Amino acid sequence: MQRTPSQTIGPFFHEGLRWPDAGKIHFAEAGKRIVITGRVIDGTGEPVGDAMMEMWQRSPSGSEPAPASGESPPHGFGRLETAKDGGFRIETSLPGGALPYLDVSIFARGLLKALRTRVYLADEAAVRRDPTLASIAASPRVRTLVATPAGDGAYRWDVRLQGDGETVFFAF
Amino acid sequence: MDDIKTSPLDPPYDFAGYGSTRRRFPREPLVPLAREALDTPGPLVPKGFVRGGDNDLTRAGKGLPLGERMALAGRVLDADGRPVRRSLVEIWQANASGRYDHPGDNHDAPLDPNFHGIGRTLTDDEGRYGFVTIKPGSYPWQNHPFAWRPAHIHFSLLGNAPIQRLVTQMYFPGDPLLPIDPIFNSVPDEAARQRMVSTLALETGIEGVMLGFHFDIVLAGARSTAFGL
Repeated sequence: MQRTPSQTIGPFFHEGLRWPDAGKIHFAEAGKRIVITGRVIDGTGEPVGDAMMEMWQRSPSGSEPAPASGESPPHGFGRLETAKDGGFRIETSLPGGALPYLDVSIFARGLLKALRTRVYLADEAAVRRDPTLASIAASPRVRTLVATPAGDGAYRWDVRLQGDGETVFFAF
Repeated sequence: MDDIKTSPLDPPYDFAGYGSTRRRFPREPLVPLAREALDTPGPLVPKGFVRGGDNDLTRAGKGLPLGERMALAGRVLDADGRPVRRSLVEIWQANASGRYDHPGDNHDAPLDPNFHGIGRTLTDDEGRYGFVTIKPGSYPWQNHPFAWRPAHIHFSLLGNAPIQRLVTQMYFPGDPLLPIDPIFNSVPDEAARQRMVSTLALETGIEGVMLGFHFDIVLAGARSTAFGL
């Protein structure tokens, strides 16, 4: 069977797709809490204030997240809306594994299909050795996937959809 | 490694007919991602996340909303024809006059106090889902002169693995605005476009009460769900 095609999320998704605890990712187990903040900007440097971001990651122990129960959103998965200034805030636990990262999908008006990227919480040198990035291992663009530590579990990571410093996006 | 190429079934990121793409499409080549990276099962949505009645959009107010009531039903399948089970389906839509209950919608058409246009449900073990709603109205937008969107219902499907994640729009059969809608026509293949159009299925409705429409959704095949999830 042939897949149903993708269409834009449009500008009016907010109430329809809003979940409790937006931007907060929970797990069955305790872990090192971290906060990733940043902004999404477009090809002219203007904020993308009407995007939805989804994050999906391994648990603090490095396993696939154990199922949630009750009325909770799924473990290991988070969803948020960017603010008018393009800003976002992800509160989660440091994913386990040698090379911790979050898969991030971005949906917005003007995106006929989601953009997929990653934010790594590791040294740039280690990120460049990730086999996933083999085709761009030597490119300065790898930096766009690496969060900048700001102390006390805080990280900074910006997303540029287009132009100078354009974030690396994956084909899927 | 079995890399995933950008599917020609989907619209391109850079599509001149839809002005909002202009400053948002990536100019750099996309980096191939090993299929395995998107094929792990999850996220798993607990049953309690969806409440009974969340799939009836006509019960959000004190009375019934304006518009043509309709039952909407279908199945969520993967590319191999297997049901996508116990998977989250979320919808949102304009009301019968073409107005979203959203602070950003300034279209000069009335809000309906009995309609918010938001629903969610989980598919059953056969991949089936169902909603009760009203037929959304068309509305103008600023993309080009005399631009009006064909009536549509937005769909978000979580699937059972990241490769299956899909946001799309469901259209209505015979809508005269479809041939001139840039978002619908951003999908290059005619047969693929038609898979976004629901079919009239009167028996899905209720005699004398509501219309019926049928809409199946096909997600990517996920190896991790070969035995069902």
